[in-house]
Amino acid sequence: MSETTAKVRKSLARRYRQEKRFQAYGILSIGVGLLALLILFTDIIGKGHSAFFEHYIQLEISLDPDVLGVDDASDDEQLNYANFGGVIKEALRERFPGVDDRQQQRQLYALVSSGASYNLRDELKADPSLLGGTRELWLLADDDVDLYLKTPERKRPDARLDDQQKQWIEDLEAAGETDKRFNASFFSHGDSREPELAGIGSAIVGSFFTMIVTLCLSFPIGVAAAIYLEEFAPRNKFTDFIEVNINNLAAVPSIIFGLLGLAIFINLFGLPRSVPLLGGLVLTLMTLPTIIITSRAAIKTVPPSVREGALALGASKMQVVLHHVLPLALPGMLTGSIIGMAQALGETAPLLLIGMVAFIVDIPGGPTDPATVLPVQIYLWADSPEQSFVAMTSAAIMVLLAFLITMNTLAVVLRKRLERRW
Amino acid sequence: MDTARELDNRNRADDDAAKPLIDVEERSMQDTPYPEKTVGKPFVDAPKMKLRHVNVFYADNQAIHDVSLDIGKNEVISLIGPSGCGKSTFLRSLNRMNDTIDICRVKGELHLDDQDLYDPKLDVVELRARVGMVFQKPNPFPKSIYDNVAYGPRLHGLADKKYDLDEIVENSLRKAGLWTEVKDRLHSPGTGLSGGQQQRLCIARTIAVSPEVVLMDEPCSALDPIATAKIEELIDELSESYTIAIVTHSMQQAARVSHRTAYFHLGRLIEVNDTETVFTKPEHELTEAYITGRFG
Amino acid sequence: MDRMHFGQHSSSQFNEALESIRNHLMEMGGLVEKQVVDALEALLHADSALAEKVLTTEDRVDDLEIQIDEECARVLALRQPAASDLRLIIAVSKAVSDLERIGDESAKIAAMALQLAEDGESPRGYVEVRHIGNHVRNMLRDALDAFARFDADKAVEVAAEDTEVDLEYRSAMRALVTFMMEDPRAISRVLNIIWSLRALERIGDHARNIGEQVIFLVKGTDVRHISIDEMEKEVRKKD
Repeated sequence: MSETTAKVRKSLARRYRQEKRFQAYGILSIGVGLLALLILFTDIIGKGHSAFFEHYIQLEISLDPDVLGVDDASDDEQLNYANFGGVIKEALRERFPGVDDRQQQRQLYALVSSGASYNLRDELKADPSLLGGTRELWLLADDDVDLYLKTPERKRPDARLDDQQKQWIEDLEAAGETDKRFNASFFSHGDSREPELAGIGSAIVGSFFTMIVTLCLSFPIGVAAAIYLEEFAPRNKFTDFIEVNINNLAAVPSIIFGLLGLAIFINLFGLPRSVPLLGGLVLTLMTLPTIIITSRAAIKTVPPSVREGALALGASKMQVVLHHVLPLALPGMLTGSIIGMAQALGETAPLLLIGMVAFIVDIPGGPTDPATVLPVQIYLWADSPEQSFVAMTSAAIMVLLAFLITMNTLAVVLRKRLERRW
Repeated sequence: MDTARELDNRNRADDDAAKPLIDVEERSMQDTPYPEKTVGKPFVDAPKMKLRHVNVFYADNQAIHDVSLDIGKNEVISLIGPSGCGKSTFLRSLNRMNDTIDICRVKGELHLDDQDLYDPKLDVVELRARVGMVFQKPNPFPKSIYDNVAYGPRLHGLADKKYDLDEIVENSLRKAGLWTEVKDRLHSPGTGLSGGQQQRLCIARTIAVSPEVVLMDEPCSALDPIATAKIEELIDELSESYTIAIVTHSMQQAARVSHRTAYFHLGRLIEVNDTETVFTKPEHELTEAYITGRFG
Repeated sequence: MDRMHFGQHSSSQFNEALESIRNHLMEMGGLVEKQVVDALEALLHADSALAEKVLTTEDRVDDLEIQIDEECARVLALRQPAASDLRLIIAVSKAVSDLERIGDESAKIAAMALQLAEDGESPRGYVEVRHIGNHVRNMLRDALDAFARFDADKAVEVAAEDTEVDLEYRSAMRALVTFMMEDPRAISRVLNIIWSLRALERIGDHARNIGEQVIFLVKGTDVRHISIDEMEKEVRKKD
């Protein structure tokens, strides 16, 4: 064995140890990341999954036209002013006879959600023949009752409910007159002070309109800017300056864009506050740098040989870009845009400054209706005192995460699919 | 026996004489002066391209120094020279591919027949339809084989009907010797072909617009010897209908395919001669040094 | 002469191959030259030992011829030489066969020397042999010298000298034929001298051929089968 071989062998062992150690560090850091992710998901899902269900209470309700003050069930006007609350209260009194104390009666009435009367109205509107009859109906329970029922028996808290109410609830539960159902209203309702009535419907629609506006503005502008800068702009101090600024803009805190939107779009152009159009404009400003940078990177990956080939055949610069550069760079551009959009979808700070933090009950019908967006809704609920909103917040986060994951997956799939041609 | 001694003496004298010979040999080639003007036969009768006093600058660096050369009709002329000698730059100035480089300026008189190449009124698109180019790396578009060949004719509106276009595509592929290999898969991607096939596809693409001159920038440098031989064969066939200028690093290739050979050295055109002359008895020392492999 | 730089290739192996070919050629040239000298000595002094030596050297010359041819073929196949390298290889491989023929002619002279040593001296012709022999020896030496130094001018001189040798050969022939007619008894011995002169004349031709290869090597022009004047013109034409 030569001297060199001996030395090499000695150093080899050390080298392998180093390599192993380095690999271990890598695995460790990935492990820490995965653990953090796991904790986050278990926490959110653990807290939030219950918000996808809500409890109903079965009551035998007689739809007495006198109590309701309705003589024609097909008349919407009358139904809107009908005293459904009275009917429900009567039904509750009949279910638990012997509650005479006004104080106790009020607590009894609190078992059913204030939104239950809307349930009733919708039922009646759908089937006017019910008027005057008696029906067993499922009515939405109040959020405190809901929370109490959702909690496992042993750990039921005493908060917000007194012993009498708990007794009633347990009676109802024992009699099989409570039911857990899927909370469809969570996805269709707007915001509400009552957790059992509140939903992310308006936030989702608001986010949708905001994203549409952002996409329609930032994608064409970003791609056009990237193509101009990469293919046509002369290389001089001015374009260098622009390039530096675009890179810097990508790193500017998003709340600054909110201030910019406030100063320019609201104060200067007088756009209405709290509308998706405005939100979209502000988020466009925020995503533009990302889209421009990724699009330029995508254009740069188009091999110069393809450009030269087309030029040598007599294609004009514009034709080279349209026929060759753009189709080849498009997957990269789309990926960048989708990632930019995902970023915008999760953005809160700039929207707070332009009034999209408002309490919006109605579902917006267009980009100029006041609206809120998902992350802002999460922010609002996280701030609310009612305990049920904790679960709602987590549920909304789950929905937001689902959207983000979907978008990022779409980006990956799109890239894979389109790149295969190349 | 004195003759034998004489012989021994002579042999010894010969050994001594060999010493100064070796000193002469070790003189550096880089000291060799440039000729005042290109030696050999740079000009021909009735040239296809007439290039006089061509100077090319990259910003303040002069890449080409006062090159005058004729390219004859249906001639294959090869441009050889060490790396960085400006032969590619010179070639690219013949169809104004240098226009894409901002800092590049071309001065001098460059004529294709009677057309001034750098006439501001000349549309560069028209020029490139007349002077096509094939590049070092096969660069088919990531489209189908058919679309690759049809791209140029479509661009210039050479075919009105699908039938005409089909014919142009078939003829071009036939001329490029690729038709039999690809006729069954015209609509599969051009990038799926082998390197040599890709390069022939690029040649088919170039001749589809019926150029008068075809410039080739090291067309075989990325290919294996068999593919190279096919391209060389093709160049020979194409020279019947086209004028071809080819830049190559392979001197054997220049020797095999071209009629005349031009030797560039550090931006200067040192010598132009019949290929046979260049490779058996070049006139200039620098040419000699280059083709015998004495540059390093 | 400054266009002949056989060193300086980027590939040192190429340099070595060419150098080795040149060295072997020179070695062969030296051997052949010695053969010619020895053969002449043997003939003039009826030295049969020396004549035997000439004949044995022949084998070594033949070996060198084959070796140099192989080397040339190898360079052609592996290096694809061009320009001066190509001309060197062509010139060497032609010069080698000329040298080998010169060796053969020397062997013939040596054979004549042996014959004469047996039969007794020829009554006439030794003056002519010495004279023409000296000429031819100088030609061969000059031709090899020109090859070693890539000296085209010297090569032209060799060619010019060949014309002289041819003239002298012809007059010597006339003299010897006349002598044979006068003294038929000496015919067989004089014929041996005539054969030797014939061989010397052939050696001169081969030396001229080598000189022509030197001109091709240095100037790149083929000067075979043209007059001396034209040859000189070709050599002076450039540089």
